[in-house]
Amino acid sequence: MSIRFKTLAELKRLLENKEMSSSELVNETFKNISSSKTNSFITLDEEAALNKAKDFDEGKVDGDLAGIPIAQKDLFCTKNLRTTCGSKILENFIPPYDATVVDNLSAAGSICVGKTNMDEFAMGSSNETSYYGTVRNPWDLERVPGGSSGGSAAAVSEGLVCAATGTDTGGSIRQPAALCGITGIKPTYGRASRWGMIAFASSLDQAGAFARNAEDCALLLNHICSHDSKDSTSISDEQENYLDNINNDLKGKKIGIIKEFDISSLNKEVQDSFEKSKKIFEALGANFVEVSMPNIKLSVPTYYVVAPAECSSNLSRFDGIKYGYRAKDVDNLEELYVKSRSEGFGDEVKRRILIGTYVLSAGFYDAYYKKAQQSRRMIKNDFVNAFSEVDVIMSPSSPSSAFKIGSKTEDPIEMYLEDLFTISSNLAGVPAMSIPHGFSDGLPIGLQLIGNYLEESKILNFAHQYQKNSDWHFKTPDLGESS
Amino acid sequence: MDNKTVETISYLARLKLDKDKKEKITKDLENIIDFVAELQDLNTKDIVPLSNPLEKVAPKREDSVTSRNRKEAFLSNSPESDQDYFMVPKVVE
Repeated sequence: MSIRFKTLAELKRLLENKEMSSSELVNETFKNISSSKTNSFITLDEEAALNKAKDFDEGKVDGDLAGIPIAQKDLFCTKNLRTTCGSKILENFIPPYDATVVDNLSAAGSICVGKTNMDEFAMGSSNETSYYGTVRNPWDLERVPGGSSGGSAAAVSEGLVCAATGTDTGGSIRQPAALCGITGIKPTYGRASRWGMIAFASSLDQAGAFARNAEDCALLLNHICSHDSKDSTSISDEQENYLDNINNDLKGKKIGIIKEFDISSLNKEVQDSFEKSKKIFEALGANFVEVSMPNIKLSVPTYYVVAPAECSSNLSRFDGIKYGYRAKDVDNLEELYVKSRSEGFGDEVKRRILIGTYVLSAGFYDAYYKKAQQSRRMIKNDFVNAFSEVDVIMSPSSPSSAFKIGSKTEDPIEMYLEDLFTISSNLAGVPAMSIPHGFSDGLPIGLQLIGNYLEESKILNFAHQYQKNSDWHFKTPDLGESS
Repeated sequence: MDNKTVETISYLARLKLDKDKKEKITKDLENIIDFVAELQDLNTKDIVPLSNPLEKVAPKREDSVTSRNRKEAFLSNSPESDQDYFMVPKVVE
């Protein structure tokens, strides 16, 4: 029986009805991975996965996700399993502990089959900055899958796994979900623990999930999210069961459209899909309201001060001493630091460290960093005001569908603008998700739903109702011979 | 963003740029700084900087030992270690 493109819920049923064993499921998964052409994985963990499947088949494991193979983004530390973060500097890093998210998902019984490819240190929107090679979009192998969680998105899109973890600092779950035609969600900042996530920009980083639909995402989020005393920004408010409200009626609910996002400048297919999606929600009884968010246009420049500043500070830990790559043939300690870092980091990471160092340096701090933190508050206030009027905010997830590999690598700013629609949610810290809602140039595009703080349930409810009334999430790429 | 500035920040970040890439990276940095410069014209009077979206105060806990000594596990990840120590080039003459 082919398991490709099956949802998490479907695979659960197969296991529950004993139509398939977990060992068969895991074997089939590795068979599919071995014939894949997308370069979605950096490291596989076949032996451990098969052992866990055997445990499940012998009745030793239970839980919500028991026996289900999933993939972990290679940014999450996995005990005794190499974790590279897409970088040469961590090529041989084997963490002695599991990230909390990894821990939570294994406690629910899921089986990690491997670590997915990603932009180096999650810095990128195309997966082209990975030291382990570009990931290819399953819908067109000449195109990018988006980034930074490109490997996770491609692996789910291609039907290698039904679910994968991701992280989202400026759109790194939502943009690749959109470009690969799947569903992805980033919860409220602080809702999932950052413990064991290799830090990029600590005030923006947040873990989340990829799956084939919103319902599966809700189930995954139930386990990905948790309060964790090991993360000082972890939220301790009670956590909902994200499946509880997924079938709520949308009648009378209000959806905000951001006045300052100029949809008319986007290509016609993107505009048309957006209009059609509005009609679906209208038919479900929701109303549209225009909301003004005058500071949202500052999001990308604000982000490209805040994120590099935090990155330059976070990445100073990579010095070649306690772990990671160490350069050879050095005469002194200073040279050891400089050579290890210069040989270990790729160009985009270096650019961001340098920008961060610049905006934090004496004489420039007030002009750039402080200013960006002030504009960040103005953006947050825009969201607070908008959510006093509406239940959710809707926008496209990305300006266009997947672009050709290599077409944006020369101009960093063009690449940064890929995250135009996604970045503001990270600056404010609100939850947001992307669901497939059409095609442009024959490639999938995504619809973004943004929620108020801790209202993951609400955006999942909107997404699920949309998916009950559309079929975009059933579309799958034609894989030719590899399937 | 001139050569001298790039050299200073590279030094601060302990990075050395390849000769053949230096020009391109300098140009990229200049463009990025130009791109974010619009923030400087923003009227931010009375706006308190926001460093963390939740604006929560760091939680406190009992002052008790919560972690185990896992010396071997951590030393095993080091590129070079000897018994109880991480090894580095000589730092004193």
